[in-house]
Amino acid sequence: MTRAKIELGDVTPHNIKQLKKLNTVVFPVSYNDKFYKDVLEAGELAKLAYYNDIVVGAVCCRIDMSENSRRLYIMTLGCLYPYRRLGIGSLMVEHVLKYVEQDGNFDSIFLHVQVNNEGAIDFYKKFGFEIVETKEHYYKRIEPADAHVLQKTLREPQPAPLVNGTVPHAKTNGHD
Amino acid sequence: MPPSNSLPPKENALFKRILRCYEHKQYKNGLKFAKQILSNPKFSEHGETLAMKGLTLNCLGRKDEAYEYVRRGLRNDLKSPVCWHVYGLLQRSDKKYDEAIKCYRNALKWEKENIQILRDLSLLQIQMRDLEGYKDTRYQLFMLRPTQRASWIGFAMSYHLLGDFEMANSILDAFRTNQMKGPYDYEHSELLLYQNMVLAESGQYERALHHLQKFQSQILDKLSIKETSGEYYLKLKRYKEGETVYEDLLKRNPENVMYYQKLVEAKQLRDPDSIVAFYEVYKKEYPRAIAPRRLQLTEARMPCFEQLVDEYLRHGLHKGIPPLFVDMRSLYVDESKAETIEKLILQYMENLSNFGTFSSEPDEEKQPASALLWAYYFAAQHFDYKEDTDRALHYIEAAIEHTPTLIELFIVKGRIYKHAGDPVSAYKWLEEAQAMDTADRYVNSKCARYMLRAGHVKQAEEMCSKFTREGVPATENLNEMQCMWFQTEAAAAYQRSQQWGEALKKAHEVDRHFSEIMEDQFDFHSYCMRKMTLRSYVGLLRLEDVLRSHPFYFRCARVAIQVYLRLYAHPLQDVPQTTEPDTGQ
Repeated sequence: MTRAKIELGDVTPHNIKQLKKLNTVVFPVSYNDKFYKDVLEAGELAKLAYYNDIVVGAVCCRIDMSENSRRLYIMTLGCLYPYRRLGIGSLMVEHVLKYVEQDGNFDSIFLHVQVNNEGAIDFYKKFGFEIVETKEHYYKRIEPADAHVLQKTLREPQPAPLVNGTVPHAKTNGHD
Repeated sequence: MPPSNSLPPKENALFKRILRCYEHKQYKNGLKFAKQILSNPKFSEHGETLAMKGLTLNCLGRKDEAYEYVRRGLRNDLKSPVCWHVYGLLQRSDKKYDEAIKCYRNALKWEKENIQILRDLSLLQIQMRDLEGYKDTRYQLFMLRPTQRASWIGFAMSYHLLGDFEMANSILDAFRTNQMKGPYDYEHSELLLYQNMVLAESGQYERALHHLQKFQSQILDKLSIKETSGEYYLKLKRYKEGETVYEDLLKRNPENVMYYQKLVEAKQLRDPDSIVAFYEVYKKEYPRAIAPRRLQLTEARMPCFEQLVDEYLRHGLHKGIPPLFVDMRSLYVDESKAETIEKLILQYMENLSNFGTFSSEPDEEKQPASALLWAYYFAAQHFDYKEDTDRALHYIEAAIEHTPTLIELFIVKGRIYKHAGDPVSAYKWLEEAQAMDTADRYVNSKCARYMLRAGHVKQAEEMCSKFTREGVPATENLNEMQCMWFQTEAAAAYQRSQQWGEALKKAHEVDRHFSEIMEDQFDFHSYCMRKMTLRSYVGLLRLEDVLRSHPFYFRCARVAIQVYLRLYAHPLQDVPQTTEPDTGQ
């Protein structure tokens, strides 16, 4: 029996509709046009995952400069239900880890996850992420509305003083 | 040349320069020299100069003046072969081949042995399929230039086309033995294969086979030798030898369906079971080959078929072969086979969704996650084929829910609606599919076609414009590219919406493509002789002879006929009731 072929591909203006379809079914929250516009500029930070040449997953990140540090924020990382537990999520996380390693200038990687999403929490813990904070009422339209912040620290933050700021991204993020 | 019309040496030199300028496409200079002759009052009506001036003007696109000068020249010198030849060339450039032939004949009356005119005449004759005339002209050319290669080839071919194979063959034989002295190169090899084709077409397979064997060391196209000799063995009922040839060919290409069929013929297998057993051998021999597996399904009967098709379907669903259903469809003529396939696919879907395997056997290996998706996809097409729209939609929905990112699913969903007689929903689903990968030209074209079926011609044009040249209207570029699927569908769409003028315009565009393809033939008459690609050339001539039997032509002709009949029965009123321009007469 041949092994399934799993690979990553670029998001382009030609196939972005596939990303939208995927996100619509994978996440309980929806993303606005700005999100998809930015994704097209994101280069290696936005990738589609192919399983035997079918789009079944996607990862979208951006660089976050708040709190006086340079962090990579995973906005979405998801996979269609029938294709889970096949290593597709891991491939995408590994891609992100490789990206930050090659860049060499990130303090950490972080993301939000609904507090009841144990599968996702366990998944990220495998890669060295840990819960660093819990935000109440992070999500507007879904229950439970609280989110954990999962973070993987890459290096100590730069010695600049910590400014009392909030994460500037208005949109929420949902994983299951 | 009649002395009365001849020019004195100085002017004659100028005239020769006009000819040279024409040959070298220096038309401006040609006109200058013509002016120098004609400005002398003594020669202002010199026929041949006037004719050449006209011909030169024609090349500069000044058609009206061209005809004026050529006709005037001819009137002044009716006995000049040059004037007639020029008039013929002018007519030929306007595609008036019949007229051109008449002119050349007149020219030859005054100069029987003019090679250039004879050559031009022969090209027109073969273009017009005046085969008798062609033969006569080629004979004259042959007699005049017996040392030229083209003379022999053209002479032989003229007999071949008339069905006089013996004569054609003897000419080729004589040519080969007397003229072909060079190395055994590609051209020599093609000539031999052409001669072999002539022999085969005469029905003398024995002789053709012998010829092929005798010259096989000089023929470079080794595949042709094998394929044709296999053909001859079968025709001659020398089955044992045929068998060896086709077994050999299958070693070269175990995916060639024809080789298998010919080998079955050579082995004289008639009973389905023995044919199935025959394919079994090749399945073992070439485990990766698809052809023997698929061919086996066509021959197999119950209950053997069930086991074989089970294996075949599992393989296809496992690998995720999108056209699996299309591959199976021809088996559906046998209802019991269709039923078997249905039974199996239902069973797969159940087991795949419960256990991830094709069967309920506990030790079966798990299938990839996409296997269930492809099973749904197959089932949707299966029930669509059976015109069971509800079940077809049920399974395509299941597939979309499973994997909403697969474009093929939306195409099939559209097709189900199309078959159910709902072209509007059909095109909307195609639009969805198209939006998912706007770089896919196949989906783009499919979508445009569905739009045309739904009567949205403008939208279809916009859809196509994503792939046509920028800065030009899509219709213009599609016409330029002879994109006939679009034009036939557009003609039919306009006809359905009673836009008669637009429908006729599209139909005529297609007709023009066919005329153009006929015209394009012209260059090959000389080119193929020169390059010695004679087998392909004969193939081309035969294709052009039946060109208009093509479905595109047929469909457009039908639209045009129906529209013309309708306009005859109900002539358009003068009052402009319709918004579209009235282009049909």
